[in-house]
Amino acid sequence: MNTLFGNFFKKANTGFWPVLIALAFLLIGTFSVYQSPRSLAAFLILMSTPLILYFMKMNMKVKVFIGLMLIVIILPVLGIRNIFYLEVIFQMAVFAALALGLNIVIGMAGLLDLGYVAFYAVGAYSWAIFGSKQLSLLYSVPGAAPADAPFALDPRWFWLFLFLGVGLAAITGILLGLPVLRLKGDYLAIVTLGFGEVIRVLALNLDKPINLTNGPQGITPIQRPPLPPESILQFFRDILEPFVGHVPTDAEFYNVFFYFLALIIIAIAILVATRLEDSRIGRAWTAIREDETAAIAMGIPLVKMKLAAFAAGASFAGAMGALYAANRTFVSPETFSFLQSIGVLTMVILGGLGSIPGVIFGAAAVVLLNIQILQNFSLYLSELRQSDAVIPIINFAWKDLSNQLDPAKYQKLVFGLILILMMIFRPSGLIPAERRKRELVEEKE
Amino acid sequence: MTLLNTTNVVKRFGGLVAVNKMTFSVDEGRIVSIIGPNGAGKTTFFNSLTGIYKPEEGQITFKGQSLIGLRPDQVAATGIARTFQNIRLFGSMTVIENILVGMHIQLKQGGLDTIFRTRKFNQEENDAEQRAKDLMEYVGLKNVGNELARNLPYGGQRRIEIARALAANPTLLLLDEPTAGMNPNESEDAIKLFRRIRDDKGITILMIEHDMRVVMGISEHISVMDYGEKIAEGSPAEIRSNQRVIEAYLGRGAAVAHEQKA
Amino acid sequence: MKSITENPVYKFLLFPIGQILIFALGASVVLSLVTVLLAFIFKFNVTDFDLVERTMLILPQVVINGVTIGFVYATIALGYTMVYGVLEFINFSHSEIFMVGGIVGIQLMAYFEHIGTLATMNEYLVIALAIILAMVVSGSLAVVVERLAYKPLRGAPKLVPLISAIGMSFFLQDIVRLILSLTTGEFNVILPKFGTFDEFWKLAVPGMEDPLRIQIKSAIMVGVAVLMLVGLNYLVNGTKVGKAIRAVAQDRPSASLMGINVNQIISITFLVGGTLGGAAGVLFALKATKLDPFSGFFPGLKAFTSAVLGGIGNLTGALLGGLVLGLLESFAASYLGIFTNGAFGAEYKDIFAFAILILVLIFRPSGLLGQTVGQKA
Ligand SMILES: Nc1ncnc2c1ncn2[C@@H]1O[C@H](COP(=O)(O)OP(=O)(O)O)[C@@H](O)[C@H]1O
Ligand SMILES: [Mg+2]
Repeated sequence: MNTLFGNFFKKANTGFWPVLIALAFLLIGTFSVYQSPRSLAAFLILMSTPLILYFMKMNMKVKVFIGLMLIVIILPVLGIRNIFYLEVIFQMAVFAALALGLNIVIGMAGLLDLGYVAFYAVGAYSWAIFGSKQLSLLYSVPGAAPADAPFALDPRWFWLFLFLGVGLAAITGILLGLPVLRLKGDYLAIVTLGFGEVIRVLALNLDKPINLTNGPQGITPIQRPPLPPESILQFFRDILEPFVGHVPTDAEFYNVFFYFLALIIIAIAILVATRLEDSRIGRAWTAIREDETAAIAMGIPLVKMKLAAFAAGASFAGAMGALYAANRTFVSPETFSFLQSIGVLTMVILGGLGSIPGVIFGAAAVVLLNIQILQNFSLYLSELRQSDAVIPIINFAWKDLSNQLDPAKYQKLVFGLILILMMIFRPSGLIPAERRKRELVEEKE
Repeated sequence: MTLLNTTNVVKRFGGLVAVNKMTFSVDEGRIVSIIGPNGAGKTTFFNSLTGIYKPEEGQITFKGQSLIGLRPDQVAATGIARTFQNIRLFGSMTVIENILVGMHIQLKQGGLDTIFRTRKFNQEENDAEQRAKDLMEYVGLKNVGNELARNLPYGGQRRIEIARALAANPTLLLLDEPTAGMNPNESEDAIKLFRRIRDDKGITILMIEHDMRVVMGISEHISVMDYGEKIAEGSPAEIRSNQRVIEAYLGRGAAVAHEQKA
Repeated sequence: MKSITENPVYKFLLFPIGQILIFALGASVVLSLVTVLLAFIFKFNVTDFDLVERTMLILPQVVINGVTIGFVYATIALGYTMVYGVLEFINFSHSEIFMVGGIVGIQLMAYFEHIGTLATMNEYLVIALAIILAMVVSGSLAVVVERLAYKPLRGAPKLVPLISAIGMSFFLQDIVRLILSLTTGEFNVILPKFGTFDEFWKLAVPGMEDPLRIQIKSAIMVGVAVLMLVGLNYLVNGTKVGKAIRAVAQDRPSASLMGINVNQIISITFLVGGTLGGAAGVLFALKATKLDPFSGFFPGLKAFTSAVLGGIGNLTGALLGGLVLGLLESFAASYLGIFTNGAFGAEYKDIFAFAILILVLIFRPSGLLGQTVGQKA
């Protein structure tokens, strides 16, 4: 059975076939999402295209072309038609960047960081505090803020804070790392977990003595950077209207805007991660992961390189944090819980520790699972509850099913199962890391 | 000229004195061996030299500079490279990458060079890769550059470990039982390789070795350790006839028998 | 002639109980003195009331609370420390084993209430039954979890089983939630009201105006925890199984060569740890009165901190660590607000444990009593 499929795949993976298959998925996917925007199957078909592009043999230029078509044109257009997709893809991008960052720490350097969202929080709160009215509310009780308080900064400062978020997160990473990176691997895991909780509890409670974070209610509204000038928007409105069936609103433009911003950050993150991986620094990280004693005997300064890994990983999260705060116009401590850290860990483990394509895939898969599949399942169950259907044999009426049984809320179960099963059956992930092959000139024999 | 010098180095583990008052020196450009029964403290002595263990007492100087208090990476930077008794390669990296890790100290590329792939970076990486390939050939490995290190046979792994150590351009090379587990032919090749390393590259070699053929065939000077102490030293011929050495290796009764035979 | 230290009554009863008493008293006294000292120092910053007087007023209650919760932490910490001693592995899901114990205990009481016998039963019998059931369930669960999620990973790099354990912790939380939701339609479980253990004993202390008030359930908690500790001490140091556990912890290959069934001993270690965790769960439930599937997380982390604080792998250390942490936390919760004049308060109690953990790991990673893997207690 397996070989049958293998042979089939081999045949399909030669000549023109891969291009045809990729195009078929792209077109059928696009068309079916266009026709039935609510169908999960249609969306899955469309989202398989990148996988086909990754796994099948075809000309690099063709791959890039099809990929860009999907990312730059098709997804935004479909997204404006049904804003939900843009949200899904935005989340995929956010988490892919987080997963890429965590992958540097865990996958490359082998340091289990269980408090990774702390760095995300640092990025998010840095723009949240300065990009909202919070600075003028420092001495007022949460909830009792005067409505006419001014914004502290012009929204265009966001661009600076995108970089500041990177820097602040990196510095936080170094400050945390300095005392704890000497610890053994398993202790490091617990201490980083603790650090993540400390940051969350601080966010929760620093509404006094001065009101820095506005406590559990979180900070809102947070400003967004201004959209491009009206003339450009008008141009896109005219082009897009016939495709999406209505005149795109500013809110929809904002979604596309943030989507592209996230894409740019992802692109940078991928570039930085791949380049670091294939360099003296990346090799030192892998060496540390494989054997600390041998690594240090080769002259690799352990603490310094581990700090570098922490800082690099943290900086990705910092950038995404600032972006996230602006996108949501709202941050609250609950976004930065331990569950989130484990969510990102699950993405990295599922995709493949140390594997850049793997963790991106892992992020996409977990987001999809979380906000598409589980939620659809929840909807389906609640429909069943309202029906008169009965499970045959055991004679159980769906009506009697507890309202508490809402699959969308069972993320922990899903994360937990993925972690256990991957560790037991496939610890290197679904798309395992591969080492770069070099051309060996002397291979003449 | 003395390259490495130790005086009264002591390393304890709890109550056990693993290295006891080791006073020892290595002259530049020589091939020197440390021998001794299992558990004599040879590896522990290596680990004390390279900063992996912090000796409780004593002095260690290398090129006239004290190594006491330096971290292992700092020791490596002074020009000491080593291999391990139980091969410690980076198993999931390729052979070439293992050798490139050995060049860590020499490579000067920074984070920004790496991210922007500056000309400096590309130049340095190309040169490093070429050197790694040359080193592979030098230790007698062919066509395995892209293999994962853990997939190589035992003898190949020993060679990579030596190539990785050579990649650091050391002044002093420490080899911990480099021919353990090799058959006589392989040992023969290894001896030739060590000689070449010293003769072509002028690298001083200090090795721990069990195989007496290797030790006697290659060493210019031998020190013998037992229970953490240096019990004898001298030329191979002197060591071969030293009473205490024979006792340490064969036990007292055997030593007497040996004497009677002689 | 045997010396007194060889006498089993002394060795397994008097000595451990004495040790527990000394630890509890010592930790209480030291921390109280430090606090009073701090009160004198901070007195100059606080002007509108007498800080020292206020500190002294609540001190006895703070100590009692700290000791009580400290014993619970110590009982949980033993599970972490035993497994770490044997496998060098942080059993991250131990906090859920503990939580399951608490929920099972409450559910049993709720069942008695449901069938209408709770009011007529002896309250101590009810608690004892709940504890026994919790011990059985948690102990078995710990063994099953080890078989399924950890055993296949033995020999893998250290982080692999740890990640599996984290996964198991999350998985158990939601599985318990699922089971509760499906069976009761609710996932909070509440301790039914029965008996008199919420009431206080009043002890008149010479030299103090108000009598010392000790809640009966605090006494139950301490009593049961001491029983567990003494029992464990006997098991580990006085029986053949305990000897085998120590042998495996010290040197697994040699133990295996000497004919010890290592897999079986590891299972027993998890069984013992889980059993203690289950009992601690019920004790914790008496105090918390309400549990949910996520209630294990923080106590678990604090218990782990206790284990590290005392010296992981060291049974006596877990006891001392638990007591110190419980007291520190109780002091922090009560005095942080008073000393900083309300700027920081009890809300920082939970992260207090982390601060301690980080400090211990940085400055004394072997803990207060040192890591004595293999030669415990
Ligand atoms: N990390 C360590 N902790 C405790 N004892 C050690 C350690 N390393 C080595 N030893 C002990 O020190 C002694 C010397 O060991 P070693 O240096 O490996 O001997 P050799 O290399 O000569 O065979 C042995 O008794 C060994 O058990
Ligand atoms: Mg040795």
